[in-house]
Amino acid sequence: MTPGKHSRALARAANAGRLQRRPEKRWWTTPQLVATMPVSPSGSHKQQNFGLNNATQPNKSLSFFATMKGTSVKGYAGTNQSRMVVSKTMLIPSELKTIEKTNPNIKTIQVFDINGIDVTPRPLYHPDPLTGTAKPNKLLTSQEGSLGSEFVSSYSLYQNTINPSMLGQFTSSFLLSCILPFHLNHTSEDLEESSYKRERLTSFHNLRVMRAAPETVITKEDLEKNIEIILTETETLRFFDLPTVMVSVESEEAEKVIQRNKNYEVLCRNRLGNDLYVERMMQTFNGAPKNKHVQCDKIIMEDKGIMSTAWDLYDSYNAMELLSLSVKQSSAESSSKANVLPKDREQRLAGSTTEKSSEASSLMDIENVILAKIHEDEEDLSDVILKSDRFHQDLFFMERVLMENIFQPKLAAYRQLPVLKEPEPEEPEDFLENAKHEEVEEQPKKEEEEAIEIEAEESTIPANLERLWSFSCELTKGLNVSSLAWNRTNPDLLAVGYGHFGFKEQKRGLACCWSIKNPMWPERIYQSPYGVTAVDFSIGSPNLLAVGYHNGTIAIYNVRSNSNIPVLDSSESPQKHLGPVWQLQWIEQDRGTTGDDKRESLVSVSADGRISKWVIRKGLDCYDLMRLKRTTVASNKKGGEKEKKDEALISRQAPGMCFAFHPKDTNIYLAGTEEGHIHKCSCSYNEQYLDTYRGHKGPVYKVTWNPFCHDVFLSCSADWGVIIWQQESVKPFLSFYPTTSVVYDVAWSPKSSYIFAAANENRVEIWDLHISTLDPLIVNVANPGIKFTTILFAKQTDCLLVGDSDGQVSVYQLRNMPTALDSGQTIDIQQTIIKSERTE
Amino acid sequence: MAEVEETLKRIQSHKGVIGTVVVNAEGIPIRTTLDNSTTVQYAGLLHQLTMKAKSTVRDIDPQNDLTFLRIRSKKHEIMVAPGNLAFHFLVKLSFCFTR
Repeated sequence: MTPGKHSRALARAANAGRLQRRPEKRWWTTPQLVATMPVSPSGSHKQQNFGLNNATQPNKSLSFFATMKGTSVKGYAGTNQSRMVVSKTMLIPSELKTIEKTNPNIKTIQVFDINGIDVTPRPLYHPDPLTGTAKPNKLLTSQEGSLGSEFVSSYSLYQNTINPSMLGQFTSSFLLSCILPFHLNHTSEDLEESSYKRERLTSFHNLRVMRAAPETVITKEDLEKNIEIILTETETLRFFDLPTVMVSVESEEAEKVIQRNKNYEVLCRNRLGNDLYVERMMQTFNGAPKNKHVQCDKIIMEDKGIMSTAWDLYDSYNAMELLSLSVKQSSAESSSKANVLPKDREQRLAGSTTEKSSEASSLMDIENVILAKIHEDEEDLSDVILKSDRFHQDLFFMERVLMENIFQPKLAAYRQLPVLKEPEPEEPEDFLENAKHEEVEEQPKKEEEEAIEIEAEESTIPANLERLWSFSCELTKGLNVSSLAWNRTNPDLLAVGYGHFGFKEQKRGLACCWSIKNPMWPERIYQSPYGVTAVDFSIGSPNLLAVGYHNGTIAIYNVRSNSNIPVLDSSESPQKHLGPVWQLQWIEQDRGTTGDDKRESLVSVSADGRISKWVIRKGLDCYDLMRLKRTTVASNKKGGEKEKKDEALISRQAPGMCFAFHPKDTNIYLAGTEEGHIHKCSCSYNEQYLDTYRGHKGPVYKVTWNPFCHDVFLSCSADWGVIIWQQESVKPFLSFYPTTSVVYDVAWSPKSSYIFAAANENRVEIWDLHISTLDPLIVNVANPGIKFTTILFAKQTDCLLVGDSDGQVSVYQLRNMPTALDSGQTIDIQQTIIKSERTE
Repeated sequence: MAEVEETLKRIQSHKGVIGTVVVNAEGIPIRTTLDNSTTVQYAGLLHQLTMKAKSTVRDIDPQNDLTFLRIRSKKHEIMVAPGNLAFHFLVKLSFCFTR
């Protein structure tokens, strides 16, 4: 009874604790101990422990689980399960009925956890607020939750599930069974619910539920009543019952147990031959397996990989075009091959068309070669390769690049670009003072041994000529440079004519086209037996080069092609010159009234006294612009002088040495003669001179107009003198006699109207009229034995080209030129000079 | 042909040029001024590099093409002029300029 008391006293408070203990079996009965519980027969309790999960006793299991809600359900469940199983085997069916009757006695119970909180399991559709519950609670709740949906529906199933083997559907019935007692055990709050559930429970025929008596309302009077409380001892509560496996022989049950054992043995013995226990075998049909072999040819696999690149696709598409092109171009092969123009850089670099044509031509070559000589493939191919245009072009590039490598500092200086500093193993002597360049590097070349080298000093230096490089090769060695001319369109292209001036020294002549980019070998070489005395590039068609020879022939070459044959030749012409052509110039002249286009024509002056104008029509046609007549001194009368009689002259014509067309008015030109006179002529009159400038005593070698000041021109002559003239005045304006040597050439600087250069035999002088009219600004002395014969300014850069009698054309750079206040491009030059003259 | 030979000769005789090699499209040297082993080595290596460079240039723009390739190292400079059928390279020693 103590357990009963104990349980009663601690019903509310120690539910949890009790639950955790082992005697969960008995726990079903505790509901009865709760105060609200109706009185129940105590005797039935004993039997209740047998009323475990059984098909016929769902209630017990329910109540069982109901109360255990707030406890460690897990362990409980586990043990319960095992107990269920155990109890099942031990269960005595006869006692079930009695137990059933006790079911209705099970009333609502309340479950309290350790903290005294009501954790009474609620019906499923009432979420139970469990606080501080352990895991097992979750398990149960989860189980509840899972079954909640099925709760209503599974009621009918309840009987079915429980009746069959409990083990199989243990969990479901187990859980179901735990649901129902929840409803049985309710607090006063859920009276409706509990009644509802009770009603539901009454639907189960297994259950017999008695309605609980309605609670009476407690009044105040009731409270003050004296109530009699009778304490009685309850029956023994069995919390745990582990049925023994062994029974004592002396016990009451011993007989029964023995009997049962015997029965069992009998059963086992009977089993052997019994009809009830028969072993049976079944036979199934097995399909007979069959092996089959198949043989086939080996499947040959081939791997092929190709990397498709953008250019590959492009090439494939274009290959079709090329094939058709090659057929067409077979006839025009020669012309296409000749289509290599190094000077026309645009054509070369954007060489898609030329490449294609050359490709086609080389393809054709290869095809022919392969067809012709199959057994000599390799050799021919290599030959073909070497022959091919493309290869030539590549070589050309290579050479250019080489040159660039070598000449980079020089070329950079020429083009006024920064000089690239080459990382060198040893430090060269730094002799440069100029802040512009890092280093000046000179390459020792065999041709330069005779060349001039200007050494720059370390202090601030005056204006000087810095020699950059020189155009020369072994072909030109020993020849005299007679003329220089820039190409009008391509500023890098230079035409040099080699030929001696004097009659006695005549050797073979050479006209070369040099490119700045390759100072070591000319691009074009035109050889001739006669000395070249004049060269000039055409303006309109810059690929035409006119060359004048010592024998009076004029030839026009097309520098685009590589051929040595001139396009046009005047050697056949009846009107060709009879003397050396001293100067050639292409002139663009207005046609005036007749034509609107500027027609270009070639004007030449030669020693036979004729200034001729050549026009290219079907051939070279010429007509004379002027016949230079000799003028005697007598024509310049100064009052009182005796008139000389006309001398018997061998020739009435004075050999013309040079001419210069007026930059503005192309009708007017100056002609210098061997007599020393400079005649101003007009194209309209070919008989008379407009004016004659007398000042020189010797042949006038060069006449040039000032590019800025159009009234001033410059002339140089063999009488050692350089004279500046003014157009209006017949007398010289300013004259210079720097040395006692023939001045071969003069040229105005393209940058300033004050500066001009003069080349006499052993010096090159740069004069700056702004600074001084007495002395040249720069004097560059030549090596002994070499004469400077020609001079030419470079247009864009500060460079000067000087040709000498050794076949070299040296490129000098003008450095440290004093910058004038004004560029000198005004007409005030005359005043300035006059002023400066007066001051001196 | 003669001109080509001349140009080739001129390049070879240039100061600072160590050697020149002309290689055909397969990478086999046709003409060389270097010794055999060096030639073969250079030809093989440079051929591949040139092909790669050419492929790169053309991949970017198929209408473009490689015109020149220069490799500058501490000791030498190698210049390669690729062509359609043959390419030609030379090895040049960059020498220091002294006065």
